[in-house]
Amino acid sequence: MKDNRKKCLAIAERIYDLDVEVYRCVGSSLGRAFTSDRRTCVENLVNLMIESPKGHLLRSELAMISNMARTIRKKEDRSRLMREYDNILKEIATLPTSFGRVDIVNEKRARLNTANLHQKFKKDDHMVICIGRTQGSAGNDIGFALADSLKVNYYDVEIFNEVLKRLEVEREEAYGIHDHVAVDQNQVVMDNKYQKGFEATHGIRRRLKEFNRYHGLTKADALFFYLSDLICQKAREEDFIVMGRCADVILANNHIPHVSIFITAPFEQRVNRIMEVQGLTYKQAARQLKLLDKKHERYFRHYTGLKWGAAENYDICFNSASYGIEESVEIIERMLNQHLHTGS
Amino acid sequence: MKKFITFLGGLFVLMASSPLTVFAKEAGTEAVAASVPLWMCIPFGGLLLCIAVLPLIKGEWWEKYQPVIVAVWAVLFIVPFTLKYGVGFSAETVMECVFNDYLTFIVLLFGLFCVAGNITLEGDFAGSPRINVALLAFGTILASCIGTTGASMLLVRPVIKMNKWRRRKRHLMVFFIFLVSNMGGCLTPIGDPPLLMGFMRGVPFFWSLHLFGILIFNMVILLTVFYFVDRRAYRKDVARGLKPDISKPGTDVRIDGAHNLFFVVLIVGAVILSGMLPSVPAFQDASGHPLGIHVIGEVTLSFASIIEMAVILLAAFLSFKTTKEEIRIRNHFNWGPIKEVAVLFIGIFITMQPALLLLKAHGANLGLSKPFEMFWVTGALSSFLDNTPTYLVFLTTAGTLGFTHGMVTTVGTISNRMLTAISCGAVFMGANTYIGNAPNFMVKAISDENGVRMPTFFGYIVWSQIFLVPVFLIDTLVFFL
Repeated sequence: MKDNRKKCLAIAERIYDLDVEVYRCVGSSLGRAFTSDRRTCVENLVNLMIESPKGHLLRSELAMISNMARTIRKKEDRSRLMREYDNILKEIATLPTSFGRVDIVNEKRARLNTANLHQKFKKDDHMVICIGRTQGSAGNDIGFALADSLKVNYYDVEIFNEVLKRLEVEREEAYGIHDHVAVDQNQVVMDNKYQKGFEATHGIRRRLKEFNRYHGLTKADALFFYLSDLICQKAREEDFIVMGRCADVILANNHIPHVSIFITAPFEQRVNRIMEVQGLTYKQAARQLKLLDKKHERYFRHYTGLKWGAAENYDICFNSASYGIEESVEIIERMLNQHLHTGS
Repeated sequence: MKKFITFLGGLFVLMASSPLTVFAKEAGTEAVAASVPLWMCIPFGGLLLCIAVLPLIKGEWWEKYQPVIVAVWAVLFIVPFTLKYGVGFSAETVMECVFNDYLTFIVLLFGLFCVAGNITLEGDFAGSPRINVALLAFGTILASCIGTTGASMLLVRPVIKMNKWRRRKRHLMVFFIFLVSNMGGCLTPIGDPPLLMGFMRGVPFFWSLHLFGILIFNMVILLTVFYFVDRRAYRKDVARGLKPDISKPGTDVRIDGAHNLFFVVLIVGAVILSGMLPSVPAFQDASGHPLGIHVIGEVTLSFASIIEMAVILLAAFLSFKTTKEEIRIRNHFNWGPIKEVAVLFIGIFITMQPALLLLKAHGANLGLSKPFEMFWVTGALSSFLDNTPTYLVFLTTAGTLGFTHGMVTTVGTISNRMLTAISCGAVFMGANTYIGNAPNFMVKAISDENGVRMPTFFGYIVWSQIFLVPVFLIDTLVFFL
């Protein structure tokens, strides 16, 4: 299995290189088969070879590259790349019978399993913990206490917004843009999206500026893309805990090791906690909980296509009401320490 | 395979004995046209079947031997046709379609393909549902100003470029064909050749603006549907971790090779001119027939067509001379798509002749007298045949129905609703198949060439059945009943 993966990885690397070279020789940015970064594309190709029984998808990817290669003007380049293409095809044909076999184990998922933490995190990888939580389940408190205990950074929406705002201004300066309206707008854009008026944009001029500023995307989508880049960048630089933001899916899509945890608690328990913390009546607290959970759910489904809070989408699911904040932190820490000891 | 051959043989015998062969009672061309047996359409069907099936089952072989396969089907039509009607009529029929239909068709496509390939839209708009809706809406309206072919060639690459970060984009190109390559052409005679023919038969230039309401109605429906389809695909792409490069704040859009827009206008002007010149006395002989170079029998390549082609080729030549190669490289310009279209369509044009002859002979006898009937029959036939002769056949038929009110044309008075139905059928339903209208296949070929996995021939028909036919049904209920 391991040998097979190694071989697939080598082939995937060669396929990616071939695409890069074909793209360079064609001289156009149109039609490239792989538009994401190298790591993601190679991982996707390997997964296609190992996990998916749909060999035709791999064939289609290769066909697209060869179609493009055939349009290369220089004869020598064309024949050189077509030779490489043929060699890759031959290599794929020699893959053992395990190619395309469907294992009960989802390798990608298994590597995220806490029991396999020592396999999942390599020496250079950073420890990233993504915590999703329902409103009132004390997820934020658990995340914060855990970060404190592990002595790693803690990011929630407000902190990310601050960082994004700073980056946005830096980027503007780098490109020599001094647009006061736009800079002011940053404040609005970077506000918590759950706050009232987040989507509201007034005035045609401002709308046009915003349209131009975000490349025709909606403000929310642009913000999500900026945030995705930021989370991936941080994950390559430091250990941290991130609350929500679909960070687990973003990292999984970019093949960055992480642990995903979902924390929730029974509805009544959560309502009682909100009533106590915010001094609300039962009716107010219940309404607020339902509203915020629905918003979380919609946001998560919009950007990930997955069901928020569904156990199969996380490595660990927690009922915080069963353990309380302190014990929850201890349990998670114990699992992570197990990794740290095994890994070091 | 044996069963298939036996089936084809049986079909051949059945069609050979079809009562349709017993029409020949009158002398001359019309009588010959009327006596064309249905089995002569087999090469046309066979060629379409090859276009539909061979890329799926023997892709590389099909790519390599396309010209041979097209030639075989053409010969399979020409030989029996010659044996039945003689060398003279056969040569005239083939030359007529090659010189007067195919040549102008392919030169126009070639010219617009070359000129559009020299224009590149550089910018970093990220293809998202709302941007795509705006692009399609703009392209649809533009199609009426510079023709469906011009608008398609001009916009196909920018649309692909803006969406290059996305994986799921075939639906975008399919709706592009629906709207920009077909429906958008309904507002002026420049938009689509059938309307140009109508204009030459006395329909006022701005009459087609009557169709504005129907176009907007269809645009609203299709763009709304498209928005939701695209949003679904966009979300799937985002969920998969794909994202556009928006690292630079602000969008910088510029057109490189913008001077080529002048050549686009020149080509559009040449098309309009070719529609108007034949009615100018200086371009007619004493009997009112258009003057030109005699080819064979009664086939003449008119001076109007020669001028049109000369202007188009000059525009293409000047466009190449005045534009840096770098722009073509950035556009991933190569001759593949136009070569494919040129090869396939010469076969389609030649093998389509029996079907067109049958249509000309029997179109008026189909008993069509209601707008909805005209809409559907004109449309259904325009989906597979050249929509220009189809439009003309039914325009002429409508002219003989004895309307006393409506549009006065050279083929008779036609009620506005009837003319609307014929025009909409011919223009809109060209979108039903890849071969329904000239730019459809070009858009497919360019998209394929640039990394978009377009649906197969039948796959595309499924798309049009799902999204277009319901719209046409609503059109029928609202406008043509």
